Amino acid sequence: MEEYRQPIILLFVAAYMGICIWVGLWAMRRTKSAGDFFVAGRGLGPWVVSLAVFSSTLSGFGFVGGPGLVYATGLSSIWMAVCSALGFATGYYLIAKRIRMIAEVRNAMSLPDIVFARYGSDAARLLTAGTILLGVLGYLATQILAMGVVLQSILAGTEMFANISLIASVSISSAVLIFYCVTGGIVASVYTDLVQGIVMIIAGALVVITAASIFDGGFAEATGILLAEDGEDIMPFGTLGPMASLSWYFLFGLGLAGQPHVATKMMMNRKLSDNKAILPMTVFGYVIAAMLWVSVGIIMRALVLGDVASPLSGADEAAPAFLSTYAHPILAGVVFAGLFAAIMSTADGFLNIGAAAIIHDIPKAIRRRSLENELFWARTATIILSLVAAAIALSSGQLIALLGAFGWGTFAAALVPVVLIGLNWKQASARAAIAAISVSLLINFAIQIWQIQIPYAISGGFLAMLTSMILFIGLSLIEKPKALPKDIDRIMEL
Amino acid sequence: MKIIHLIFALLLVIAGITIFVLTGEPPTGATGVPHPDVSGLSLGGDGAEKLSAIGRAPYYFQICVILLAASLLYLGVPPHRRDHLLRISFVAGITFALFVWIMLWGGYESYLLNGETTVVFGFPAPTNWMFWGIWGSFVAFDLFYVFAFRRYFLHPDDEAAFEALVREMEEEREAN
Repeated sequence: MEEYRQPIILLFVAAYMGICIWVGLWAMRRTKSAGDFFVAGRGLGPWVVSLAVFSSTLSGFGFVGGPGLVYATGLSSIWMAVCSALGFATGYYLIAKRIRMIAEVRNAMSLPDIVFARYGSDAARLLTAGTILLGVLGYLATQILAMGVVLQSILAGTEMFANISLIASVSISSAVLIFYCVTGGIVASVYTDLVQGIVMIIAGALVVITAASIFDGGFAEATGILLAEDGEDIMPFGTLGPMASLSWYFLFGLGLAGQPHVATKMMMNRKLSDNKAILPMTVFGYVIAAMLWVSVGIIMRALVLGDVASPLSGADEAAPAFLSTYAHPILAGVVFAGLFAAIMSTADGFLNIGAAAIIHDIPKAIRRRSLENELFWARTATIILSLVAAAIALSSGQLIALLGAFGWGTFAAALVPVVLIGLNWKQASARAAIAAISVSLLINFAIQIWQIQIPYAISGGFLAMLTSMILFIGLSLIEKPKALPKDIDRIMEL
Repeated sequence: MKIIHLIFALLLVIAGITIFVLTGEPPTGATGVPHPDVSGLSLGGDGAEKLSAIGRAPYYFQICVILLAASLLYLGVPPHRRDHLLRISFVAGITFALFVWIMLWGGYESYLLNGETTVVFGFPAPTNWMFWGIWGSFVAFDLFYVFAFRRYFLHPDDEAAFEALVREMEEEREAN
C-alpha cells in the first residue's frame, strides 16, 4: 500500500473538498436572506453549533503550528491548549446566553450589532467592526497561504502535478472555500464545520494511537529521551519558561470567548437551553482533536533529539514529516483531510464575519442603516475579501506574519472587556469600551510593527489584554452610570 | 465588596507582578538556548537560573489568574440567582484548581532542586498535573454549568421572562 501513499492522500483530500462543495450547493437553497447568510436564521441544533464552535477555535495553527511549536520549544505552547476548558467556560458562563438573547430581541447579525445594542454607540460599533476586519485580513491570509502550502506539498508528490506552483495551489483551495462560503453563507460554513469537526476528532484520536506506538516503550520512552537530552522541554513550562507559558494561558483561556468567529456562532442556536449540551460537546471535541498537537510534537522532538530521525528543515514540518514517514497511508489521508478541515473551518468563519463587517456593520455605524439587498452584497464582499486575503498571502510574507500574529491577541484584547465584562456589568460605559479597544489596538500594533522583544517571552497580546481590561473597568468605575435601553437592561437581569 | 471590585483588584495585582517581572534583568537563556547542532530547536537550559531574578513570581501570578478566572465566571451568574450553594460550589472549584496548581509548581520546583522526577502515564508527574489537572480544574466548572444549568444559568422563570420580553418587543414593533 505504501506505493499508493500519495494517491490515497489525494483521494481523501479530494473527497473532503467534494463534500464541502456539495454542502455549499445544499446550503444555497436554505439561504434566502442576509439573516440566513450571517446567522443561519438562529435555527441550528446543538450538535452543529458545538462542532462549529470547537472546529473554528482549533485552526490550522493547532494542527500545523502547534506540533511545530512543541518540536521547537517543548511543552510551552501546550498552555494554549490546556486552557480550552477555561476558555469555553468563560464563553458559556458570560456571553452565550446574553448574546443569543440580544440577537433575538434586536435581530442582531454580528458582534458589532451586539456591541451597539449594549452601548448605544456608533463609534464602539465602528471600532469593533474595524478591529474584526483588521484581524480577519491577517488571519484569513495565513489560513489561505497554509491551505496552498499543504495542497502544494501533497500534489508535488504525484507525477502529474510534480511542478505545481504555489499560486495554482492557493487558487484551487481558495476556489473551494469561496464556492461554499458564497453559495451557502454561514449555513454552509457551519455544516462544513460539522464535517470538519468530525474529521478533526477522528484525526486527533488516530494520531495519538499512532504516536504512542512509534517507540516500543510508548510515550514513556520518548519522555526518557527528552529528560536525558534536555529535561526542561518535557516539563510543564517547556524551554520558554513559566512566564511565557502562563501569559499564553491568560491570553488564550480568557481570550477565547472574545474571538468573534467563535462568539458569533453562539447566537445561532435554535434554543437557549441547547447551551447546556453545547458546552460539554465543544470541550471534549476540542481536547481530542488537540491531542494531535501534543503527541506529534513530542514524538518528533524525541525522534530528532534521540538521533532516530534527521532534523527537520523547519518546525512547521513536524506534522507533515510525521504523517509522511510514520503514519499508515490511510491515516495520513484522514489527517491531511483533517488538516484542510482545521484550516477551512476557521477561514470560513472569518470570511463570514469579515463580510458582515464590510457590508453590514461599517455602513450601519456610518450611515445608521445597512445596504439595500444585503444578501447580494454579502456574497460579493465574501468574494472580494477572499481575493484580497489571497493576494496579501501571495505578495507579502512579512505582512502576513505581522497580521497573523496580530489576530488572536487583537481580538482578545479589544473584545474581551467590551463583550465579556460589558454584557455582565451594567455600569460598563461606551467611553470605556472605545478607550479599551483603541488602546489594545495601539499596544498590539506597536509591539508588532516595532518587533518589541518582551522579557521572558511574555505574550504581547497578554499585555494588551491586561491593559485594556484594567482601563475598561477603571474608566467605567469613574464614570456615572447611565440608564440602559429597556430591553438590554432586562436581558442583563436574566 | 462587589465581584467587579475583586476582579479589578486581581487585575491590578496581576499587572503589578507583570511589571515586577518586566523590570527585572532576565538571566542569560531566560527563554531557552538554541540547540548546538539542530537549527530551529531550542533547549531549556538551567531552569533554576531562569527563575533567579523573579523567584516565585510565576507561582503567585497563576494563583491570581485562577482567582480572576473564577471571579469572572461568578460574574456570569445573574446576581439574583447567586446563593449559598453557588458560593460553596465555587469555593470548592477554586480550591481544587489551586490544589492542582500547587502540586504542579511543587513538583516542578522539586525537579529544579534535584533534577529528578517521577514518570507517570508516560510523562513527568508535574507535566501530568498540567495536562490533566490544569485542563480538568476548569472542566469541573464546565460540568457545574451542565448540572446546575436550570438553577443558575437559565432558570425557567428567567426563560419565561425572556419570552415575555420577546413578545413585548414584537408587539411594540408591530404597533410602530
